[in-house]
Amino acid sequence: MMTPKRPEVDYKTCMACGICVQACPFSCLSLDRFDIDALKKAYPVLISPETCTGCGICRTACPVDSIQMLEQTLIAVN
Amino acid sequence: MKGYTGKILLVNLSSGDIHDELIPDSIYENFLSGVGLGAYILYNRIPAGADPLGPDNILGFVSGLLTGTPSFVTGRWMAVFKSPLTGGWGDSNCGGTLSPAIKQCGYDGIFFSGISKELVYLYVDNKGAELRSAAHVWGQDAVTAEENLIRENLKKKKPAVAVIGTAGEKVSLISGICNDGGRIAARSGGGAVMGSKRLKAIVLVGSKLIGCQDPQTMKAISQEYASKVRKQNLPAVVSGSFLPLMGKVMGGMKRAAPMDGLISALLLKRWGTIMNNTLGVTSGDSPLKNWGGSVVDYNRSYYKNLNPDRITNVEIKKYHCYSCIIGCGGVVDVSQITHGEFSQTHKPEYETCAAFGGLVMNKDLNEIFYINELLNRAGMDSISAGGTVAFAIECYENGIITKEMTDGLELNWGNAQAIVALLKKMIAREGIGDLLADGVKVASRKLGPQSSLYAVNAGGQEPGMHDSRPDPVLGIHYSADPTPGRHTIGSEQYYDVTHLWEKVSWAPNSGSYVKADENIPSEKVALKSVANSCYKELTDGVGGCMFAMVTGVNHWKLFEWVNAATGWQKTPDEFMVIGKRIQTLRQLFNVKQGIDPMSFKMSSRMAGEPPLLEGPNKGKTVPIEAMMHLHWKAFGWDEQTGIPTQETVTQLGINELCTEKVQ
Repeated sequence: MMTPKRPEVDYKTCMACGICVQACPFSCLSLDRFDIDALKKAYPVLISPETCTGCGICRTACPVDSIQMLEQTLIAVN
Repeated sequence: MKGYTGKILLVNLSSGDIHDELIPDSIYENFLSGVGLGAYILYNRIPAGADPLGPDNILGFVSGLLTGTPSFVTGRWMAVFKSPLTGGWGDSNCGGTLSPAIKQCGYDGIFFSGISKELVYLYVDNKGAELRSAAHVWGQDAVTAEENLIRENLKKKKPAVAVIGTAGEKVSLISGICNDGGRIAARSGGGAVMGSKRLKAIVLVGSKLIGCQDPQTMKAISQEYASKVRKQNLPAVVSGSFLPLMGKVMGGMKRAAPMDGLISALLLKRWGTIMNNTLGVTSGDSPLKNWGGSVVDYNRSYYKNLNPDRITNVEIKKYHCYSCIIGCGGVVDVSQITHGEFSQTHKPEYETCAAFGGLVMNKDLNEIFYINELLNRAGMDSISAGGTVAFAIECYENGIITKEMTDGLELNWGNAQAIVALLKKMIAREGIGDLLADGVKVASRKLGPQSSLYAVNAGGQEPGMHDSRPDPVLGIHYSADPTPGRHTIGSEQYYDVTHLWEKVSWAPNSGSYVKADENIPSEKVALKSVANSCYKELTDGVGGCMFAMVTGVNHWKLFEWVNAATGWQKTPDEFMVIGKRIQTLRQLFNVKQGIDPMSFKMSSRMAGEPPLLEGPNKGKTVPIEAMMHLHWKAFGWDEQTGIPTQETVTQLGINELCTEKVQ
């Protein structure tokens, strides 16, 4: 089963600027990943996929097009 | 949309009236947004002679024209007001997430007039705005109050909050306005204005879209900038211990020349502004011992403790302000070193390290961490607080302030425990702290004329931690800007990395030059300071950060971004006219408020009178009055008085644009 699209961040091009985080109307993204580079910079990560509507505002806002909206496969647990 | 919303929110705290006002396109085309929009509103609407702490003062929170567009390092908000510290134009800006939040509520600015009967905060979301009781958070420090206001207003989107601490509540004239956990728009006394209005906070929860004319072009410019900044990484082998030597070499150089501004991104990415902690001491950039000492006094045994590596060693994460790709911010773990009172603090800025390091002859880094969090939470400006403490120490050393007056505190140079105790008194306005809570000018007036030599200020404001003796252009800005004492407007060093002459026809090319020549008044030096001023107003009009500004016009492309955002086709020269218009309006604001521009001249020590006898600034003097006159002349203001001439006012179309007419 496919869910609505969700943002996926390409950390190779992401500049950790936080524009996507602020653009999200539901605060689904947060600057909570610190393991991407040696400087321990805060990178965006989807923290509440259940709230994300897949609207793509974050993708549109990103100045370097580092966000793609991808369909996620729901895996049934139990 | 053209990057701006075309709308402001007006809140009358006396009557409770809240309403929108549309702003015509022509205002943005002539003043941009941000500081320009603020200047337009305040110049027209604050009456002459208004009490800065009275109902006639207007406090504005403005966003930038480029904030929220796909541009980088354009997310700073600005507080605008009549300053209770200088009596003239006041503004102060800060990063974090507040600037986009203003626009996401549908406004370019939120302006408060009047004084509330009750303790209130303003809540704004997509549906509207209302004043709510702040009685339950009044008395709380800025970080605690922000956390509580976020918690009680958290629904879908995390609120952005601007809030005053206890220093602002007690109307300290050196208090600022905080956001994002103790970041602070610190300068010129905005916190006092907010406290006088009994306004604790603004809470913004909007999620409206911010549009622009040509997002693809904007993104292309952003991607080019990102590719350059991404490459700026210092090799790991370069450590903080190299910096004092680098400073010594820089301070000893007889000649200077323009450099690629990206070098600043290189250093800021590694350390943040603390990269100047030791470099500034050995180069002569950092004022020491209340501007009366040198590196001979604050020698290696002192400054080695401020090595930025010692700070980044306890840094647990870095952070960026909204839209920033440089990322100079950080959070440090201080749980082991702040008496257990605080677990974390923002990585102290260079300004704080210098103000509570060399300026007061302190070498205890742990106390600087503690002071940093103490002041952030109180919402007190660390530059002004450091300058005031240095003043108090020198008064104590010279018998003007006695041990009885300090309730037993021994205010000697470098006595960190006494400095912390004094700051707590200043924040609480207790004892001697009440006398010092309004900065050096007010304190000196109360202590008598014998203290005036030690009250280092420009127009009532304590200067930034950058010495004007080796960089006299900095001195011009300290003295001739409508907001005196500010290190962020311009300097010779900023000019050399910004490369304005490559895009602006009248900006002089620095070329290779003899540094000592810059201490001689000349029309070329004056043109540089005018260009600095105009470009800084543009930066503040778009919500830009000065650390991006100094990477240079060929990298951080303000002109090109604004054209893409708005659909305008303005040339850099035409943009600089806008910068000149904003700066002229700020100066006219001061004239309207009865300020004599010459009264903003910086203290004699800052100009090298008497000259230092040792160190890299030995014997250096700045003929500041002559330089101010040339600066004013180059601006098209009266050379003698600093008042904008009728001809300049007419050329800039100010009387056509403003309801307040210049006679």
